[in-house]
Amino acid sequence: MDENYALEMSGITKIFPGVKALDNVSFKVKPGSVHALMGENGAGKSTLMKCLFGIYKADSGVVRLHGKECHFVGTKDALEAGVSMIQQELSIVPERTVSQNLWLGREPLNKYHLIDHARMIQDTKDALHKVEFDFNPNIRMSSLSISQQQGCEIARAVSYNATIVVMDEPTSSLTENEVEHLFKIIRMLKSQNVAIVYISHKLEEIFDIADTVSVMRDGQMIGTYDVKAITNDQLISLMVGRETTQRFPPVENNPGDVCLEVKGLTSPNPRSFKNVDFSLHKGEILGVGGLVGAQRTELMEAVFGVRKFCSGTVAINGKEYHSLTPEQAISAGVGMITEDRRGSGIIPLMSVTDNTTIASLKHYENKIRLLEHAKLEKVAKKYNNELNTRTPSMRTALMNLSGGNQQKVIVSRWLMTLPDILIMDEPTRGIDVGAKYEIYTIMARLVKQGKAIIMVSSEMPELIGMCKRVMVMCAGRHTGTLEGTEVTQENIMRLATKFSE
Amino acid sequence: MDRKINAKGVKNVASKYTTWITFILMFFVLSVLTKGAILRWDSIRNLMIAESVRSFAALGVGMIIITWGIDLSIGYVVCLTASVAASFAQDPSYASAIYAGHSFPLVVPILTAIAVGGLFGLFNGLLVAYGNIHPFIATLGSMSIAKGLQLIYTKAAVVGSLNQSFKNISQGSVGPIPNLIIYVAIAAFFVWVVLAHTRLGSNFYAIGGNKQAALVSGINVKRDLISVYTFAGLLYGCGGTLLASRLGLANSLTANGMELDAIAAVTVGGVSQTGGVGKVSGMILGVFTIGLINYGMSFLGIDSYYQQLVKGFIIIIAVYFDMRKYAKRN
Repeated sequence: MDENYALEMSGITKIFPGVKALDNVSFKVKPGSVHALMGENGAGKSTLMKCLFGIYKADSGVVRLHGKECHFVGTKDALEAGVSMIQQELSIVPERTVSQNLWLGREPLNKYHLIDHARMIQDTKDALHKVEFDFNPNIRMSSLSISQQQGCEIARAVSYNATIVVMDEPTSSLTENEVEHLFKIIRMLKSQNVAIVYISHKLEEIFDIADTVSVMRDGQMIGTYDVKAITNDQLISLMVGRETTQRFPPVENNPGDVCLEVKGLTSPNPRSFKNVDFSLHKGEILGVGGLVGAQRTELMEAVFGVRKFCSGTVAINGKEYHSLTPEQAISAGVGMITEDRRGSGIIPLMSVTDNTTIASLKHYENKIRLLEHAKLEKVAKKYNNELNTRTPSMRTALMNLSGGNQQKVIVSRWLMTLPDILIMDEPTRGIDVGAKYEIYTIMARLVKQGKAIIMVSSEMPELIGMCKRVMVMCAGRHTGTLEGTEVTQENIMRLATKFSE
Repeated sequence: MDRKINAKGVKNVASKYTTWITFILMFFVLSVLTKGAILRWDSIRNLMIAESVRSFAALGVGMIIITWGIDLSIGYVVCLTASVAASFAQDPSYASAIYAGHSFPLVVPILTAIAVGGLFGLFNGLLVAYGNIHPFIATLGSMSIAKGLQLIYTKAAVVGSLNQSFKNISQGSVGPIPNLIIYVAIAAFFVWVVLAHTRLGSNFYAIGGNKQAALVSGINVKRDLISVYTFAGLLYGCGGTLLASRLGLANSLTANGMELDAIAAVTVGGVSQTGGVGKVSGMILGVFTIGLINYGMSFLGIDSYYQQLVKGFIIIIAVYFDMRKYAKRN
């Protein structure tokens, strides 16, 4: 009702099966201001924005633009009403030109209903000029830098006469100078009375650019504050201030000798991990914390040989490697449960047995190199029984099992290779609470047997509940390791948002 | 409730044994239409002989499709290998023989043809594994190369007048069973051992089922892809040799379009275009199902132009059901 707000979302609730993703969230943005939206991974920021754009349909609640109620059914609809979004992953067509991208789907037509190229190019120049970019509209998008591509997206937003621009982690792949330019554009938009919703994890930026900040946690809006009236530490504690209600089995972390030593590991991709050192001891679970984009998965994939590294070394049980393949890592005693279970874990149409045995077949060949099927099935069954995998039979295709049971099959796959070191990347993502507890129990049992585990997790309670030692990463760098009583949500968050040295 | 479970059970069985059901149904229909003529041993024997070379092609491409690949070079690679084999088996007294005046021991045509097939497979495998070229395009290219080489090698002439011992490879029989059938059985057995009982075979299924997962599981995906294409190439080489031996000649039209027949056959035989699924029994059964349709239509005096039409529809229907069955997994 209040026309003083450019955007007013009130009482937004969104329920996914089993989860209340948004719980009666209200969010108001004034025109001509930069409003930061903060929160941990999974706090509900993206879901809230998806409800705004109509990508998700909210179960209840109202969205008002300049006091008028509206319901968008997708980004195009929202764009036409002057609400646009600059995604973290830019949505461009790389092999088309700047002007083709800018006017995609709404190309100016001449009287024969053919594309009016001359006008399109002039309009592109004007649009780019407004955001103080100056480059050839005929250049292909793929030949621009990320920052320039982002500029094009902002130009596109402006060309729709946007009054509200949502930016999701806009600086995640920009250099410092490019960030400066972006901030200049943001200030300019602000002066033109545009409302900007700025989603970011980077605290310094919030204090630099934002006027107001709203904090979300576990699907709820915790509060909205004037940036001038709040401190760094206050923001951190607002973001993490949740009580741990999850249950964890007792874990005996008894660190022994070092079994994995990573030194100066650097990715050939300049935006990925840089100069990372860490070590892992037998009989411990080392937690790896950080926010989305901290490059934890990339680092672990490099340690396992799936991804290349350009300098640094990985020493497994004392043997040093300057480059690695998964084959070498596996024979050196490393196993890896990947983050993307569907993409790089399960083989959907293969049976439970075949999925379990696929990484250890070479140990089950007879003298004439034929596979010992009976033995394989027996061993696969043994591991899955130990982990309590629930499946109709060992011959069932893995796609027919629940997420939690699929995960147990993948864990069985790696236990069967008899690893000394198990890297578990988000091992409990997307599985139900009961199965989570079972996975924790398996982990506790493995470290008791003297195996070493690296657990990458975005869920802080999980890191605190399972690990005595947590290394935290931010933007590809290892920003610190917490031990014992230092392992708290506040400390993890502090290191996870430590963007500069 | 019970009925519901039964209906589901029937559906499961039907989906599991689609290939067998199609084959038996086809057999039954054609038996009725031909008033039992197709059930005679002669007919069955002819059918098996006619489909033998296609079986080799189907076994090769079947394995490739399991790894989520495809091979379009089959027809011309078989044509080239048949021509190579034939060129080393020509009567030395035949004036227009490629190596007129020379006579070679029987192993020469066999081994050179198989080697040429293997080299082509290796080439395809390298393009796919290291060149990262989509197999469709890679094998489209090698198809044209094989065709070009065949024309250059034979100067576009018929390679005929083959010696009797070479022709005997395929034309003899052991008791009532033609040699060709025995070769197919041996090849099928060999492929079955590889697919069902070796690490390499398991890797093929894993690569086709989820390449990334295969990589993470320590499988050397590039090496295994090269193996599968090479292995298929060797099978095409065997097929080419047998074809030349059976026909008693080779020319630039030999085995034309065999890639489509073979791909159609394995698809009907339940080798999924989405990769990671397929059995030897299905591949062979698929070949005979398509063969039966061709044979049956010829038997009934239906114009061969219509056969082409029917074959096209069969491929489309088979892929449609295959997609319905498996595509949802992603």
